[in-house]
Amino acid sequence: MPKRILRVNMTNLESQFEDLPADYAALGGRGMTSTIVAKEVPPTCNPLGIHNKLVFAPGIVTGTKAPTSGRLSVGGKSPLTGGIKEANAGTPFAQMLARMRIGAIIIEGKHAGDDYYLLKITMDGTEFIKANKWVGKGLYGVYKDLFKEYGDKVGISGVGIAAELLGAMSGVCFNDPEGLPSRYAGRGGLGAVMASKGLKFIIVDDTGAPGVEIANEEVFSQGIKKLRDALTSHDVTKPGGALNSYGTAVLVNIINEAGGLPQRNFSSGQDEGAEKVSGEAKAEEIKKRGGTRPHFCNPGCIIQCSEVWVKPNGKDPVGVLEYESVWALGPNCAIYNLDDIGELNRACNDLGTDTIEAGDTIAVAMEGGLIEFGDGKGAIKLMDEIRKKTPIGKILAQGTEITGKVFGVTRIPTVKGQGLPAYDPRAIKGIGVTFATTPMGADHTAGYAIAPEILGVGGKLDPLSPEKAEVSRNLQFATAAIDASGYCLFIAFAILDIPEGLQGVVESLSGVLGANLTVDDVGPIGKSIIDTELEFNKKAGFTKIHDRLPEFFLEEKLPPHNTVFDVPDDDLDSVF
Amino acid sequence: MPIALKLFGDLRKKVDPKVSGTLPLRLKIDDPEITWVSDILRKFMIEENEVSHIFVNGRFAGFRKKVSRGDTVALFPKNMGLLYKWYFKREEDE
Repeated sequence: MPKRILRVNMTNLESQFEDLPADYAALGGRGMTSTIVAKEVPPTCNPLGIHNKLVFAPGIVTGTKAPTSGRLSVGGKSPLTGGIKEANAGTPFAQMLARMRIGAIIIEGKHAGDDYYLLKITMDGTEFIKANKWVGKGLYGVYKDLFKEYGDKVGISGVGIAAELLGAMSGVCFNDPEGLPSRYAGRGGLGAVMASKGLKFIIVDDTGAPGVEIANEEVFSQGIKKLRDALTSHDVTKPGGALNSYGTAVLVNIINEAGGLPQRNFSSGQDEGAEKVSGEAKAEEIKKRGGTRPHFCNPGCIIQCSEVWVKPNGKDPVGVLEYESVWALGPNCAIYNLDDIGELNRACNDLGTDTIEAGDTIAVAMEGGLIEFGDGKGAIKLMDEIRKKTPIGKILAQGTEITGKVFGVTRIPTVKGQGLPAYDPRAIKGIGVTFATTPMGADHTAGYAIAPEILGVGGKLDPLSPEKAEVSRNLQFATAAIDASGYCLFIAFAILDIPEGLQGVVESLSGVLGANLTVDDVGPIGKSIIDTELEFNKKAGFTKIHDRLPEFFLEEKLPPHNTVFDVPDDDLDSVF
Repeated sequence: MPIALKLFGDLRKKVDPKVSGTLPLRLKIDDPEITWVSDILRKFMIEENEVSHIFVNGRFAGFRKKVSRGDTVALFPKNMGLLYKWYFKREEDE
């Protein structure tokens, strides 16, 4: 069976499998989603209208034995940024699609009326089932219901209450291996795009799936061995290494010490309170409470940076509390209590919101006087406004920029409408260049300039130096290529340092595709994806003016280093 | 004013083997013999290969970074470290 595209028309509730076009054969993940969006979606369309499309695509090696490769990209035109969007997640759902030889699902059209649907995909075909009984309900309970109804071996993708509000902070949610609704293609409001079409859930059951076709098994096996060796020997990615021991939140103390951990809506880069919500503190609490750490977000991951956070009594699992989530819902709101952060993260997962956008939104709401900074319980109540679909909740669900404007806040940390993640660009300027220039809106994963600057991986950089254009560009290309491969971005830590690891990645891709790729092809693959995305955004009306950080980053000095973002506009314009 | 030292993670055990909790261990060092970061390591019998990140006043630093009274020095252990020292742009004075 060749790889296929599943095209789903929500207008008339029809679907059909199509042969994968020959020129899509080497695409996967972000390469697939951005290519399809650029080709099929009018750049000036309403993101929540009939002409937008939502595309799901597993990576090239996803579903194989390749380690740490269970990634899935979701793409479309973003209602948050107005530009092209790719958000991705690690989830068993990705591996199931790949094993079913589904290269992409394209959701198009828009169902008239108020009904919501569930799309069930098996090897026998597809089925549309009314999903109205789950409208207005939290995803933790709904996912339990769905596993009960469709069996515990299925994969689930869904959208929550925030998406029902067509909120631009809504994400597309996937299950983790425990069935929790905790793995998100969170950024950019793609949940609202899915809901706008009348689609609430996708259930996949890969029973009888043929598995991923591997053109050259020998080259593939040789490649994944090299990658596995690199991942298990590198200090960042190996068992017992930093990510495995503490999770991504090991960065809390590090970035705080560097003066780049934004506090109180980006008004300071350091606060001793952050030590209470560090990766070390979280790991110890998880151990004490009987949660799970380390943990994998998809089977076959070697790094296992994930975890399952639970309440003090060891019950009510939330899922992972990522570094960016802890920061967004914690120090950025002057909340230094892990239990409050855990409950806020639970609310985000339950309502179907991106944690970064939710945290930025709460912080600007605090600055706007809706509640006080540091009021964790008040922040949880704000999330309940979304659950109740009140007018305040509807404003909050639209994200940072709209909330800030409604409440008269001028310090709104967004680029292209998307809230900034957990690294202050005044202290870590390279990441600021990426925030400004990526076609995705402020997104740390778009070009992980933080890696060589703070983590010391793959380069020699001074985080306070403004000369970052070339580094940001190269990292954005590399990131796009990894996002297309199906590998987790965290393999970059190992493969940037260990040449054999990078060679292994390339060989594994060659093995699946039956190609003869070299390491030199990685950059051009990434560049091609970024070029496609930039072209879409240009046609959507984006100019260089949109590649700028908000004014306050250029004017307000950030303690403790008391620096501003001083990368010249010409340098930003030279990135692409 | 003494040097303020912050030890993270397992490095705290170099000073207090029974340390509990997760907060960094804060010490004040008033020692005229200390000129470099490496002197601090020597004082607490910390090997260089046990250290990943060094920050002096919030700036990345190396073992040969001069420290003065009033400075804040933060040391992270290897198992919290995500960097290789030979890649790291460090502030060094020698």
